[in-house]
Amino acid sequence: MAHDEVKHDYHLVNPSPWPLIGSMAMVVMALGGVTYMKGMFGMEAGTWWLLALGFAGIIYVMVGWWREVIKESRGGDHTPVVQIGLRYGMILFIASEVMFFVAWFWSFFEFTIFQGARVGDTFDASNPLYAEALQAVGGQWPPQGVEVFDPFHLPLMNTLILLLSGTTVTAAHHALQHDNRRTAISMLAITIILGVCFTGLQVLEYAHAGFSYDGTIYGSAFFMATGFHGAHVVIGTIFLTVCLVRMMQGGMSAKKHLGFEFAAWYWHFVDVVWLFLFAFVYVIPYLVMGH
Amino acid sequence: MRFLIALLTLTPFSAVAYAAQPEAGALNFQPAATRIMERLHGFHTYLMIIITLITLFVLALIIWACVRYSRRSNPVPRKFSHNTLVEIVWTVVPVLILVAIAGPSFSNLFYQENQPDLEVIAESSDDNPNTYPEAAAEGWITIKAQGNQWNWTYSYPDELDDGGYPVEFVSNPIHRQLSGDEQSYVDATGRDDFASLPKNLAADFPLVIPANRYVRYQTAASDVIHSWTVPAFGVKTDAVPGRLNEGWFLVEEEGTYYGQCSELCGKDHAFMPIEVRVVSPDQYNSWIESMKAGEFEAAFDGLPSAQAQTASTDVPTDAETRLAQAQ
Amino acid sequence: MAMDQVSTAHDDHAHDHKPGFFVRWFLSTNHKDIGTLYLVFALVAGIIGYTLSGIIRLELAQPGIGPLTGLMEFFGYSGDQAIEHAKHFYNVVITYHGLIMIFFMVMPALIGGFGNWFVPLMIGAPDMAFPRMNNISFWLTVAAFIMACTSMLIPGTGEFLGFGGGWVLYPPLSSATGHPGPSMDLLILSLHTAGIASILGAINFIVTILNMRAPGMTLHKMPLFAWSMLVTAVLLLLALPVLAGALTMLLTDRNFGSQFFDPSGGGDPIMFQHLFWFFGHPEVYIMILPAFGIISHIVSTFSKKPVFGYLGMAYAMVSIGAIGFIVWAHHMYTVGMPSDMKAYFVAATMVIAVPTGIKIFSWIATMWGGSIDFEVPMVWAIGFIFLFTVGGVTGVVLANAGIDHVLHDTYYVVAHFHYVLSLGAVFGLFAGWYYWFEKMFGVKYNKTIGYAHFWTMFVGSNLLFFPQHFLGLNGMPRRYIDYADGFSTWHFWSSMGYAVTLVATLIFFVGLIEAAVRRRKAVANPWGEGATTLEWTLPSPPPFHQFNELPEVKPETHH
Ligand code: HEA
Ligand code: HEA
Ligand code: CUA
Ligand SMILES: [Cu+2]
Repeated sequence: MAHDEVKHDYHLVNPSPWPLIGSMAMVVMALGGVTYMKGMFGMEAGTWWLLALGFAGIIYVMVGWWREVIKESRGGDHTPVVQIGLRYGMILFIASEVMFFVAWFWSFFEFTIFQGARVGDTFDASNPLYAEALQAVGGQWPPQGVEVFDPFHLPLMNTLILLLSGTTVTAAHHALQHDNRRTAISMLAITIILGVCFTGLQVLEYAHAGFSYDGTIYGSAFFMATGFHGAHVVIGTIFLTVCLVRMMQGGMSAKKHLGFEFAAWYWHFVDVVWLFLFAFVYVIPYLVMGH
Repeated sequence: MRFLIALLTLTPFSAVAYAAQPEAGALNFQPAATRIMERLHGFHTYLMIIITLITLFVLALIIWACVRYSRRSNPVPRKFSHNTLVEIVWTVVPVLILVAIAGPSFSNLFYQENQPDLEVIAESSDDNPNTYPEAAAEGWITIKAQGNQWNWTYSYPDELDDGGYPVEFVSNPIHRQLSGDEQSYVDATGRDDFASLPKNLAADFPLVIPANRYVRYQTAASDVIHSWTVPAFGVKTDAVPGRLNEGWFLVEEEGTYYGQCSELCGKDHAFMPIEVRVVSPDQYNSWIESMKAGEFEAAFDGLPSAQAQTASTDVPTDAETRLAQAQ
Repeated sequence: MAMDQVSTAHDDHAHDHKPGFFVRWFLSTNHKDIGTLYLVFALVAGIIGYTLSGIIRLELAQPGIGPLTGLMEFFGYSGDQAIEHAKHFYNVVITYHGLIMIFFMVMPALIGGFGNWFVPLMIGAPDMAFPRMNNISFWLTVAAFIMACTSMLIPGTGEFLGFGGGWVLYPPLSSATGHPGPSMDLLILSLHTAGIASILGAINFIVTILNMRAPGMTLHKMPLFAWSMLVTAVLLLLALPVLAGALTMLLTDRNFGSQFFDPSGGGDPIMFQHLFWFFGHPEVYIMILPAFGIISHIVSTFSKKPVFGYLGMAYAMVSIGAIGFIVWAHHMYTVGMPSDMKAYFVAATMVIAVPTGIKIFSWIATMWGGSIDFEVPMVWAIGFIFLFTVGGVTGVVLANAGIDHVLHDTYYVVAHFHYVLSLGAVFGLFAGWYYWFEKMFGVKYNKTIGYAHFWTMFVGSNLLFFPQHFLGLNGMPRRYIDYADGFSTWHFWSSMGYAVTLVATLIFFVGLIEAAVRRRKAVANPWGEGATTLEWTLPSPPPFHQFNELPEVKPETHH
């Protein structure tokens, strides 16, 4: 049986250096990260080049790896059954990302809703170590001295931007499916511009924040949740941009454009996470407990 | 079978003199000193019977299958792979067993968890083994145990001295395995009984509480998480920085009871013991008065010593018998 | 290099051409080779984890702080300083023992090793869905292991090296308060890396199982080991990201001033415990479910009977996985939760005994009426069934919050989880090892040595862990380098048990070497009619690429 010719459509990948290089880069990046934060191996805290080296290695691997994937796809390795597998894979990846965000929402909800359980009788208020914190967060959310954002200004605008970008990316998809390449390209370009606008507005908003990451738990929980979302927007934008470039080079066909589909799914995921953030982190606390 | 279980539950109690501390070769809980722990003894024995039977049942089935259906005794395998009836049985029976466990489990849990309403108890008649109306009439004694790396700070929030500060002191371990251990003990206490104190269990200044009083304890911490526990009382409550956790117990018999920090808290986690001296109400009162007066050493020197307390106490009746007596 | 030879020509492989040494083992995209790599890696990590446990047992054999002080004196400390270092080092040892055994021994061996080897073979697939991603899962695990080991050697707190806060990493002991040094930061990044590796592996398994089953093999005909890997992978996929989140918060708390777990900023250390155990409890099922799968095959093979109640077995695993997500706070009964919350977790936790009981009884029913061969894997499997039951029922005792108030953080818990892990998951691991050894490596092992390994291990590990129940009941706390004199009897016997497992482990290696030296050629199916899954239709070892023509699963030949 071993000497038979291959009679199935699965993709047997050639040996590849990327996993090994990527893992080595990961070690360098981790050691670099710790060196940057704490100083290690005789290097001062704040030494950044080791971290940068590791990060560059990761980027190099990503570029090399995905180029290989694109080549394989062009070479016909992505048969229909392989495409189904890739689709499942992307969905599962997004599912794990969702669980990642669960952690941020968990912390935000814990601080918001279970306030009552943490203060009052169960709070060690007589201890001067914690008394100040009790003063600040005791029985109130957002904590004393925190000026929360008015959700109906920039955040609302951002919501509209993201929703709009969700429709444009879908429009691009439809256009691509109908082989209407020019519309697809322009719609995708608009999506990317909207994504950039979102990031820009978010930066603007951060710049005007009345609280900081290291101030109180409110800042910690808020910036962690919205910050990780922001990072995903940036990644999604890059993903879409890669698709745009490939599309302009003629790389995506009406029948087969998995990369674009995945970028679009990812974008929708980012979109939905934002809606949750908008509702639960911005609007509801503002309406229920805000100013 | 019966015999085995009896052996398992009785051995620790038949072991020498009374001391609520670990016994060499013991197989079971330390003797109960509170009603909470007494109930847990009973509940645990009940559970032990159940899980032992389950395990022996599984073992018996395995052995039977191995003997009866080995290749030698059964050369031709049968081919069945379904039997709805037994499948239902082995789903439903475990459910019933679990329900039978859950009943006493919840009642014990709520007994320990819910602080009793002393006013109601004080009014009640006294034939209920779970309540102590006379003690209830006297109200709560509140103590606070704060864990630090690596000792305990005990305070009595309701016992204020003239300056309005609560009685408070630090209870240090006397064994850290270091060369200066004995010297620091002598320096701190002026006592010469170092060698006779149980290793890794004794503290220089123990927590002092009266017998037969409802005690409400609070735990807190100043750095990392610790856990305040006394096995004989059946209590264990984490001391979490920023939080104040609460629990209660009532000890009937005077004596010295030991516990050990039960949440990993760093280098000396094994060396922050909990020593509780349960004394008569009179002794407690004079102790607390001396403490309020600031006569720290005199207060502790006036207490019966730990050895005296453990040695003088009779062998207690085991939980089982006390349970029976109470009912 | 290989990246240049990107091609679509599968023909290269069709003639069973194995690539050269470096390409084959370092740049692999072959599920069997990657499986082997995982097993070798797990063996190495297992030896390290096992050595660490030896240090624990050596130290605890007698009261006092003896052997570790000696070790510290060997490293140049003296007097009290040696003792202080010994105390911290002990905490480091137990922490890394737990982490290494879990993340770098059991998971890589059962999931990475056997999962990679046998999921594709059993479902009739030529390889995993994403062979290249499969390889990065492996190398990231190695990367994580290197980081973890490095973190043992760099400053943890003050002058002390390594992180000594337990495998559960509770803050504030793991935050800047308890361990300000770089050790904990590197450990966090190590676990992030191990987590990424496992998430990618999980995606790979799920896609392989959903998309690459042989024609005719519906999910309800799929072998139970593949089912166990499917459930395990889903648990990994959903649980690990939450741990990653918690670790990230811990990292930023330590370095960038956030205050998630810092009470002096209004944060809450208990929240970490919730997040950790939301991962941690599914994690314990992640470690046991693959063993469940292996045991099902072994019991059925050697009883020469199909698995009893196949569907019940599959869905029992699914429900164990599902319920596993809603019981996490049974690890936290003493943190000060409201009592009705405890009551809920008591009830939810005990429910898991029902599907687990279904598994135990179905294995016995599979043996019932069979014609049992007591081959080496079978005796390990029988040992597993019994010892896992012992560990499981003590879990039910711990599930009762009232009792757990006494037993929490005592050796009773240590005894419980070693019965389900060391005598459960590891027994399952050895059962699988002896079941598939000849298939994987193409040579036979010496059965007598296999039996000797089993019996010494059985006696040794029971002597090792059974007395720990007594210690726990009598109040012996966990993570203690030294103890009250009353505990010394059982600690002594426990350490004696370790000595016996030492003999067992030596026998294991003798068996390995014997098989490697003798090289007796293995046959395709050494187990006869009972072995019905697809891997036994292939030669031992299987060709570099199997199933170039996909096997057809006919309606009647299932599981
Ligand atoms: C493989 C790993 C594994 C497995 C499978 C289990 C299985 C179970 N565990 Fe265990 N557990 C751990 C690994 C595991 N555990 C670890 C590592 C810790 C400690 C973590 C730490 O703190 O470091 C721990 C701790 C732990 C605790 C916390 C103790 C404490 O810290 O105070 C609890 C409490 O509820 C618990 C309960 C259970 C239960 C109810 C099961 C159940 O799933 C068991 C079900 C099985 C059976 C019951 C036996 C077979 C069934 C029958 C024969 C049917 C009939 C039975 C009945 C009706 C009862 N475990
Ligand atoms: C899978 C998990 C696992 C395994 C296998 C073991 C195995 C062992 N463990 Fe433990 N242990 C833990 C997980 C595990 N442990 C955890 C999570 C903790 C808690 C840590 C904490 O408190 O934070 C702990 C804690 C712990 C303690 C408590 C320490 C304390 O609280 O102070 C002790 C004490 O005796 C102990 C002892 C042992 C011993 C003697 C063995 C073994 O020696 C028993 C014999 C086992 C073997 C001989 C198997 C060896 C395996 C191989 C060599 C690999 C083979 C690989 C292939 C074939 C591919 N362990
Ligand atoms: Cu304090 Cu452990
Ligand atoms: Cu659990």
